[in-house]
Amino acid sequence: MIVSWKWLQRYINLNQLSDTEAAERLSLSGLNHESTQVLAGDWAIDLEVTSNRPDCLAHLGVAREIGVLFDRPLQIPDPQPTAKGPAIETLTSVQVESPELCPRYTARLIRGVKIGPSPAWLQELLANATGDPSQFKSINNVADITNFVMLECGQPLHAFDFDRLHEQKIIVRAARDGEVLEAIDHKSYALQSGMCVIADAKQPVALAGIMGGAATEITEQTVNVLIESAEFAPGSVRNTSRRLKLASDSSYRFERTVDPVGIDWASRRCCQLILEHCGGQLCAGVIDVGPAPVARPPFRFRLDQIARILGIEIPPATVQRILEALGLRVEAESGPSPVWQVTPPAWRRDLSREADLVEEIARIHGYDKIPEDHAVPMAVSQTTPLDMSSQRVRHVLTAAGLSEALSPSLVPAVLSDLYSPWSDRATLTTLQPMLGVLDTKFWNTAGPVDCVRRSLIPSLLELRRINEFRHNLPIELFELAKVYLPGETFPSEPTMIGVCSGRSLLDMKSVMAEVFSTIQRGLNVRVEVVTDSFFSPGCGLRYWIGDRLLGLLGETSRSTQKKMKLRQTCVVGEFFLESLVDALQVIPQAQRQSLYPAIERDLNFILETKVRWSELESTVRAVGGPWLEQVAYRETYIDATRDGEGKKRVLLTMTLRSLDETLTGKQADDICQKVIGACTDKLAAKLVAG
Amino acid sequence: MSLPDFVSQLDALVSEAEQSFADAKTTEQLEVARIEFLGAKAGRLKAVQKLLGSVAVPDKPAAGKRLNEVKAAIEAAFQSAAQRLENVVEEIQDETFDATLPGPAWATGRVHPITQTILLLKDIMGRLGFTPVEGPEIEDSWHNFDALNVPTIHPARDPLDNFYLASAQVWGNGSSGGADMLRSQTSTVQIRTMQQRQPPLRIISLGRVYRPDTADETHYPMFHQMEGLMVDRGVTMADLKTVLRLFATAYLGNSVPVRFRPSFFPFTEPSVEVDYYWNGRWVEFGGAGMVDPNVFQAVGYDPEQVTGFAFGLGVERLCMIRHGIRDIRDLYTNDVRFLAQF
Repeated sequence: MIVSWKWLQRYINLNQLSDTEAAERLSLSGLNHESTQVLAGDWAIDLEVTSNRPDCLAHLGVAREIGVLFDRPLQIPDPQPTAKGPAIETLTSVQVESPELCPRYTARLIRGVKIGPSPAWLQELLANATGDPSQFKSINNVADITNFVMLECGQPLHAFDFDRLHEQKIIVRAARDGEVLEAIDHKSYALQSGMCVIADAKQPVALAGIMGGAATEITEQTVNVLIESAEFAPGSVRNTSRRLKLASDSSYRFERTVDPVGIDWASRRCCQLILEHCGGQLCAGVIDVGPAPVARPPFRFRLDQIARILGIEIPPATVQRILEALGLRVEAESGPSPVWQVTPPAWRRDLSREADLVEEIARIHGYDKIPEDHAVPMAVSQTTPLDMSSQRVRHVLTAAGLSEALSPSLVPAVLSDLYSPWSDRATLTTLQPMLGVLDTKFWNTAGPVDCVRRSLIPSLLELRRINEFRHNLPIELFELAKVYLPGETFPSEPTMIGVCSGRSLLDMKSVMAEVFSTIQRGLNVRVEVVTDSFFSPGCGLRYWIGDRLLGLLGETSRSTQKKMKLRQTCVVGEFFLESLVDALQVIPQAQRQSLYPAIERDLNFILETKVRWSELESTVRAVGGPWLEQVAYRETYIDATRDGEGKKRVLLTMTLRSLDETLTGKQADDICQKVIGACTDKLAAKLVAG
Repeated sequence: MSLPDFVSQLDALVSEAEQSFADAKTTEQLEVARIEFLGAKAGRLKAVQKLLGSVAVPDKPAAGKRLNEVKAAIEAAFQSAAQRLENVVEEIQDETFDATLPGPAWATGRVHPITQTILLLKDIMGRLGFTPVEGPEIEDSWHNFDALNVPTIHPARDPLDNFYLASAQVWGNGSSGGADMLRSQTSTVQIRTMQQRQPPLRIISLGRVYRPDTADETHYPMFHQMEGLMVDRGVTMADLKTVLRLFATAYLGNSVPVRFRPSFFPFTEPSVEVDYYWNGRWVEFGGAGMVDPNVFQAVGYDPEQVTGFAFGLGVERLCMIRHGIRDIRDLYTNDVRFLAQF
């Protein structure tokens, strides 16, 4: 809202008050000062008006605020235009067919006006209130006066050329599909059912609360003028304005609701100014359709609530002055504790409860009066296991050279469908897509970005693709974020650790092993090779903690690589953070370390090629006993001529050590025999002789 | 053996040993020489020593004396050679080695700047006694709007201004009781926390929120918020101002002016906007206010018994000012060169 300093002075004495001082106080009482334009003999002050204060979308409202802040009286015009013409009912009628779209509609009629330029003082104020007078275009005296009254009191008005209304009547109704209206901006708007229009006997003549129609606008030929002052339903005005992409000063105000009592005042004010500046004769009376505004009910205000909420005492006399200056009526209730009955003014629909008054008092009295060095009781806070786990994961992954990425939670269908390892249910989609988040040069045929992602992996591959395209190497990324797995009512939203790396599968496997180890040293994580065409054959792994799924890791297959237009295959993984949170060892505990020497024994087995290391290792561990400290993989050797087809040699080293004694060769040999026996029985392993 | 023969053998041994020790260029070569001359089992000195038995008895004292002198001389020669090698300046082994060459590429990864900002915010709020809580990002409209005192006709519910789910059917008014939308604010987590727990509460929730702005330099349809809530008996606006003042001082430093001015949010009354003075102008820091009694009623708290304050701020703006990031989209493009800077 831009206010003219000069205009304000029509209602309040601003002597000895600077525009900067006023702007500063207005900022600190709720009308944030955006800027001030210095004009010839005036200042145009731009104030940000929050949506709860439509009364301040007018000079009178802002003048009232200044009056309260600087304790100055307000002079409000009292328009009482003289009606010399016949009763309005004899000349026209108003029919409201859709009271839910238009709760109240009033009309006054002035006959015999002389259309011409508006007076210079009025043009100047209107021009200054645009903030840039050079851009201002006066329309004519009647139209300028309706604008003036709107900017004076906040009630939008409309003047119709009465003689161009078919059958000289007004019908307020819902638009019918197929109807078209040419508005005063000379653009045609296709109306849809549900939009509220002002119509005459034949057709729509205005978009209710938004813009008048070209057919009935005031022209130099206009003689008789019908003045509309009404209230339109905020939701309807907003929806229509949105659907037609047509907003106006009028729609802006109706969307925020208007003062029901001010409707008639504005109509009288407008007629008074027209009679004064355009001549003509006002018809007697007013057509007023809709229930008369009900008086606002009083409510109780316990004065002790001020200190309870604000933390400071404010003298009752100050409180009373503030409320009364804001237009509230205050009456003390009889009783031991101070309680008032308070009646808010019609233009303040935002005041209906005790809490609303506490805010009014606080903002006028000044937020700066409330201390900011109060003794707040101390309290402890805890780091949550989730945050603790996330931090340990981040530490290891960044130490391993992976950087953290954050990518949008919505992806296009082509990425959503690329891979969804955790859910077979259709992805959730949104009505609005995300705009401007996708590399559309590359994804020129992709649909809208409206799928709520079920996996981080497609997003990470897309980030990899973008980085490859920019010749950024190496590309080592991880992301800690939620995925959204559709469910019966709400989706589940597990937090995932996603990784994407250019190193080898086994390298990345080691990094993840270190992640798990920092969550809990010795955490028993099991892997199994899975068949999954997203990965290269034999290069996809599922991870388990006991029977609980932990995640997956694998090297992308060439078909995946092609689909994503990646130059190279890469390793991707995704793990459930919650599985790790549940395994989190918050405070690692020290274990006794053996002070005795270790014995190492190498075992070289001939095995079927298909036997996995994981099977061999677990077989060794199962019988190794408490002294088996480590089972280390050394190498695999294939020699079909010596061992036959489908065989391989696997060399492993066992480290044996006791906490309590130096192991003897005999003790080590016994363990070896047990291990060899188990491997022979379970895996048909054959020890290489010698 | 005659004494002169014995003595001459000893003298020859001394000069040979001295020569060998002097010639040794490395400790390994010296060790070989030491074993040759001074070896305990098969050293040449040992061998000469054995000849002492064949020297005539009257000559033995003289021969023995000479032997001891020789032994001492050889050992001294060895010691001085050992000393010399210890002090020797090592020569370049590999002429092609260039220590100014770079090592193999090695770098740690970086934590995302948004996460770094979030960790800092959590850290500061943690010191003020606020504990993080988590909540879902896909919400029903009751938690996102109704419980936060946003009226059914409020523009904030507009379908064009929210990411409603296609499956929700109900948008704009009321709630299906199921998943309706991607949350537009983190305040939903306060509602869920208050429904589950009784006061006193001192919590923060941080996370992703969603509004359908087209991505440009200053907008992104997904961003992060921090929301704080303190509820107890006797919490006042003085507590609110004090906590936010401490927070601002911790985040911005002592010298940055901060101001509190009235604002409007449906879920707080009175409402506050906090600004800080930066590069010659007031910059919005965040919004706050005393929790509206309607919000307490929605979660089953008695507003006659407890009061509280809530505050919220956008993480992106703080992060961007902090690190001099000019385009918000850079945060979500994840160019590894961008990420490596933080």
